[in-house]
Amino acid sequence: MVGLFFGLLIALQIRLSQEIRETVPIQRVQKLTAEVQAARAERDELQQRVAALRAELDAATAETGLAPLRSKLERYRIETGLVPVSGPGVEVTLKDSGAALQPGQNPNLYVLHDEDVLRVLNELRAAGAEVLALNGERILSTTEIRCIGPAILINKTVRKTAPFVITAIGDPQTLNNSLEMPGGVVDTLQRFWGIQVSIREMAQVTIPAYKGSREFEYARPVKEAK
Amino acid sequence: MAPRYVSITLVALILGLMLAVQFRTTNKEVEPTAPRDRAHELTVELKNLAEERARLEAEAEDLERKLSRARQGYAQAKETLEGEVEKAAVIAGLTPVTGPGVRVLVATGTQTQGALFTVRDEDLLKLVNELRAAGAEALSINGERLISTSEIRLAGSFINVNTRKITPPYEILAVGDPAALESSLEIKGGLVETLRDWGMMVTVESMDKVRIPAYKGTLRYEYARPVREAA
Repeated sequence: MVGLFFGLLIALQIRLSQEIRETVPIQRVQKLTAEVQAARAERDELQQRVAALRAELDAATAETGLAPLRSKLERYRIETGLVPVSGPGVEVTLKDSGAALQPGQNPNLYVLHDEDVLRVLNELRAAGAEVLALNGERILSTTEIRCIGPAILINKTVRKTAPFVITAIGDPQTLNNSLEMPGGVVDTLQRFWGIQVSIREMAQVTIPAYKGSREFEYARPVKEAK
Repeated sequence: MAPRYVSITLVALILGLMLAVQFRTTNKEVEPTAPRDRAHELTVELKNLAEERARLEAEAEDLERKLSRARQGYAQAKETLEGEVEKAAVIAGLTPVTGPGVRVLVATGTQTQGALFTVRDEDLLKLVNELRAAGAEALSINGERLISTSEIRLAGSFINVNTRKITPPYEILAVGDPAALESSLEIKGGLVETLRDWGMMVTVESMDKVRIPAYKGTLRYEYARPVREAA
């Protein structure tokens, strides 16, 4: 009897200390959240400084003889995502299915998946989109689309929540038509999965620059023989 | 104490421990495990932000150096501008790059192997997305460099990349951390496993060195215009 009691007591003790450990993660989460916010603010500040320095450098190299080089740099910077851009285009809004499910249907099939976003982006690219963004986050050559619960993680550190809005710069009519094509991406999303898609042609949209910096850690340029 | 009591005590002790452990395990299922996951997520985010900050700092230093040089005269200004163009060209995919990475080969299996589906554009699209999520810095499919506007899309009976027709087998090259890239694809229950279940032949190979060609097209912007930042 005494032994039984002792056994319970020991185990209880273990449980208790376990419980204390359980609350630690909450403190951790609070501390980490604060640190993430601070780090993000610092990052944004640095980013602004870099953008300002770039503008200064542009001003410092404003001689007319350098115009061809400058316009080249401008084009390259659009592709790298380092400058904000604007132009005509479309705005595509994606929302989960609003339809009531029949019993036995898998609800998971009727919510927006990363592949749906990938397909819409892909279709816009095929239709000649020049610059793309998801909820204001620039799409780069390295950008992934990753669903995490109800949110989308993009460019490794950026979390976006529904509704998901894809902005594309290009010929509004062409972009719109490519999406609306019968049997096309939007048709499939709406008809089979009930995903709500709305497309708006825009005379002008602005897409911000990428907030991070872009540098390769593994890739090295190959020097071409001239 | 008689040895009999010792053994009874011992048995009771063990029984008590077992009872309590049982309690614990049934209890545990109800308890949410989210806090630990959140802490983990935040830590990853913090690490990424720290890396980004370090890169931005280096970038700012580099720009400051270039700026003071550019102000010395026309020749110096031209030189720094050329330096910036070269740097942007690498990131924009206009320069071939090499580095460690992976080579992924994808082909439709033969009928006898029980191929359920042929390889489609969306399979390649998803593979590329996985590699990007695992930190791929540069990518190509069958020699076509993937830039931010590259499509991977079925047109007729062929897949187009950068509006050029590519034919199977499909070879995806990626530069990045080989271990991270490989495990992102080969993870149990992951994308490659699904593709193999569908009868496709997929091989993922870590490479010490892959060479990714430059984008063959030209960057032309008919609609997009850079926005001048208020300095």
